Amino acid sequence: MGEKIYATEPVTAEELADYGNHIVQYSPEYSLCAGCETCSIMCGLSHEGFTGPGNSRIKINLGTRSMIHQVLACQQCNDHPCYEACPKKGQAMKIDEDTGVVYIDEEFCIGCGLCAKRCKFQPSRISMKRDKVRKAWKAVKCDLCRGNPEGPQCIKWCPVRCIGLSDDSVFVEGNATPAAAEGAAAADAE
Amino acid sequence: MPNYKIADFLENPENTQKLYGYCGKIARINLTTKEVSTLSTYKYVPKYVGGRMLIHRIFWDEVAPGTGAFDEGNKFIYMTGPTTGTGIPAGGRSAACAIGPSVLPEQFTFGNIGGWFATELKYAGYDGFIIEGKSEEHVFIKIEDDKIEILPADDLWGMRVHQTQKALEDQFGHEFKSMVIGPAGENLVRIASITTSNDCAFAKGGFGAVWGSKGLKAVTVHGTGMVAPADIEKLKYLRLNMNHPSMRPSPILHLDQLGVPGGEFEVKYDRGNVACSPGCNQRCNALLMNGPSAFEDEPVNHIEKCVSASTFGYKADIPAPVGMFWPTKQNYCAPCKLLGRDFPEPDFSDPDFEAQGKVILPDIYDLWKPDYERGTIVNDLCNEYGIDKWEIDVWLQTWLGMGKKEGLFDGMDLGTGMEVDVENTDFIRTFIDNMVYRKGYYGNLFAEGMARAIREMGYDKYSETVYHGRHSQMLGGQRLDIPVSLEGGWGQSVHWQGRGYEGSVEKPTWLAACIIRMLSTRDANTVEHFHSEFEYHAEAMADPYHSPNLIRAIINVQNNAEIKDSVMSCEWQSPDPWWPTMEAEMYKAATGYDMTAQELHDAACRSKLLLRAFLIRNHGRNRRMEIEEVWRTMSIPDSWGEVADWQQWNEMVDLVYEARDWDLETGWPYREAYEKYGLKDVADEMEKLGYLPKRPAEHWHDYGEPPFVKFTENCKEEAARAEN
Repeated sequence: MGEKIYATEPVTAEELADYGNHIVQYSPEYSLCAGCETCSIMCGLSHEGFTGPGNSRIKINLGTRSMIHQVLACQQCNDHPCYEACPKKGQAMKIDEDTGVVYIDEEFCIGCGLCAKRCKFQPSRISMKRDKVRKAWKAVKCDLCRGNPEGPQCIKWCPVRCIGLSDDSVFVEGNATPAAAEGAAAADAE
Repeated sequence: MPNYKIADFLENPENTQKLYGYCGKIARINLTTKEVSTLSTYKYVPKYVGGRMLIHRIFWDEVAPGTGAFDEGNKFIYMTGPTTGTGIPAGGRSAACAIGPSVLPEQFTFGNIGGWFATELKYAGYDGFIIEGKSEEHVFIKIEDDKIEILPADDLWGMRVHQTQKALEDQFGHEFKSMVIGPAGENLVRIASITTSNDCAFAKGGFGAVWGSKGLKAVTVHGTGMVAPADIEKLKYLRLNMNHPSMRPSPILHLDQLGVPGGEFEVKYDRGNVACSPGCNQRCNALLMNGPSAFEDEPVNHIEKCVSASTFGYKADIPAPVGMFWPTKQNYCAPCKLLGRDFPEPDFSDPDFEAQGKVILPDIYDLWKPDYERGTIVNDLCNEYGIDKWEIDVWLQTWLGMGKKEGLFDGMDLGTGMEVDVENTDFIRTFIDNMVYRKGYYGNLFAEGMARAIREMGYDKYSETVYHGRHSQMLGGQRLDIPVSLEGGWGQSVHWQGRGYEGSVEKPTWLAACIIRMLSTRDANTVEHFHSEFEYHAEAMADPYHSPNLIRAIINVQNNAEIKDSVMSCEWQSPDPWWPTMEAEMYKAATGYDMTAQELHDAACRSKLLLRAFLIRNHGRNRRMEIEEVWRTMSIPDSWGEVADWQQWNEMVDLVYEARDWDLETGWPYREAYEKYGLKDVADEMEKLGYLPKRPAEHWHDYGEPPFVKFTENCKEEAARAEN
């Protein structure tokens, strides 16, 4: 699972065992990312009330020539090495007791960057930001819009349904048949 | 939801209205002095809204009469809108203006563009920029938040569009977004474009050559700031309701047929659909995948739009249902849905279903056979050299095809060393190469653009020769005459004007398109497509020259175009005929300022007046000039063999002028028109310059004789010879 960008092939339960529920990008054969960055924009609006690259918890690696884009977000590792690396864990970095999602309280983040460095993925799914909005270094990561009854806003607002949650993905083993994918597409169309 | 992070712009003392959405400043970058400064956006808004309206005010204030496209005094004025970067659909687009070298005569012209650049510029903290002066060295501009640098571009100069885009990304990082010119702009090719990485372009004005003349290769930007819309809940409402996004998966399609309806041919290719700019809820751009490249061994992906369609094969023009221009409410489908192949099921309960769905069959031309590889390479040449596809796909190629069949090029190679043959990829490639690099006589000649090149070669022969291979399907295959050159006004190609490319439309539609073109400075149809509600179709068909609702629709189309290019939306999203307050709602959601639809309409009228004022002051615009500009097009038979009537056409122009409160004889606005929209200062200056007309005691109707049209005379001479 770790290096897979797209859920093009069925993902086995074994592969998923190391990760909690997380954002996945579907294959372009299911839905091609339109490059509209709506996921990132709505993430920023939801979390901060404004847009901007530093205000999104989701990363889009734009294929500015190929137009094939990669949507990247935290995989919510069950062993959460980012949390373990945090010198202020419990304050700056916390674990949601219900979902197991690791989230950040910026107020207490000291900007050391250890969490980002410890991330298993390349590029790191945790961004370190010091920009026009945050004057000091802060860690930023996806928390699956914890506390929002609508769930992850990136998924809710994606105009082409090219991202979803791994737990609900049609590409998870058992669901991942052409018929299942077509059924999901038809359901979305309705 | 105000919070501490947005205090910076809300507490800006110049932001007296406490406007969200804007960044608050516009950069002024002087390439002669290398000075950079800023001016406050709040000096102009909300009165001038943003985008094109704001551009018009700055142009009026700053660009002097007599300025040429390549003069140091020409300014490239670029503006985003208040919705840009907010997540309001289609707000990611932006607008620009300059004295355009591609238009004939050189005059103010404008355009809009997609891409990621505009949103990134706002993240850097700017609503737009004004590029003025000229650099003696080749330079590019790097904007990173508050830091603006003018840097040497010697390493970039000579690169094609995507090479330049990649070089900037490699040097500064993937997060930098760029607008660049290719070799065409560097070599002052008048049809050169400015292009983003996703093949969106300012193509129509020749702005690429303006940058080239200023020594400017690229502007690259990265910002770490933010854009704050005022009302996020309203923004969500807009996202859900603008063009009723169906939120369906959009898979890559593996297709085996390409071409316009009626001219399809079999070819296997892959196609996706992508959005042109951040924040849109549609994906209307076609992504043609793994096509042959004009330059690389590896296949490449291209973004293509409607203009590219004919390049893959031109047996017939494009068919158009009546409802495309005259939709019913029940079967209205926004263009982005059509282009994105995401249209809803037809509503058969619509009482006008059949009438609005009636397809006007296009004229047959038989200009070049289907050839996917050839079409893709021609489009790639345009993308990579940075040139306007309308000029190449629609005008140059049809001219070559028709001219060849009429024997215009017998014994000529047009500088290619080959027989003139539009179907030969090597020929067309060599021709374009010569043009872009100004090689030889013909390369230099066509680098001046089709309009100027044809005049230099001999207008009467190379423009007005009759092509005998056009056949109307609306008249059962009857042959109709058309000149070999598809020029439609202001030195640009025809476009939905009733004849030639995208030509098979009914008389009210082409009359409207010609009026809109006449009052503009370019092919206005890519930015101001005509459309009106179907309920007025019968009235317009009954008397197209005098239909009050057709005149109203023309004014609305013009004003709505002004609004969507200023609030910032897209030609395919805006307007929605049955949601007239949509743009006002977008503006309020972005800025928090409660501008009504009527106030926005008034702002559009104000902006149109500014345009009119500087066209008169800077370029000597008057009635006779603009009527002559489009009369030749209307003298060519439409798909039913009809041409415009001079008397009635003038009466129609009268009605449009009267609706704008312009003098009928001169086409100049009266003082009252300026003052009604808060432009007393403009009226005063126009009076000082002698451009403020006095209302005549009697109704003026001295239309004079129609302009001489050589093509019409050629047709008459041929008919006379045939009789003898």
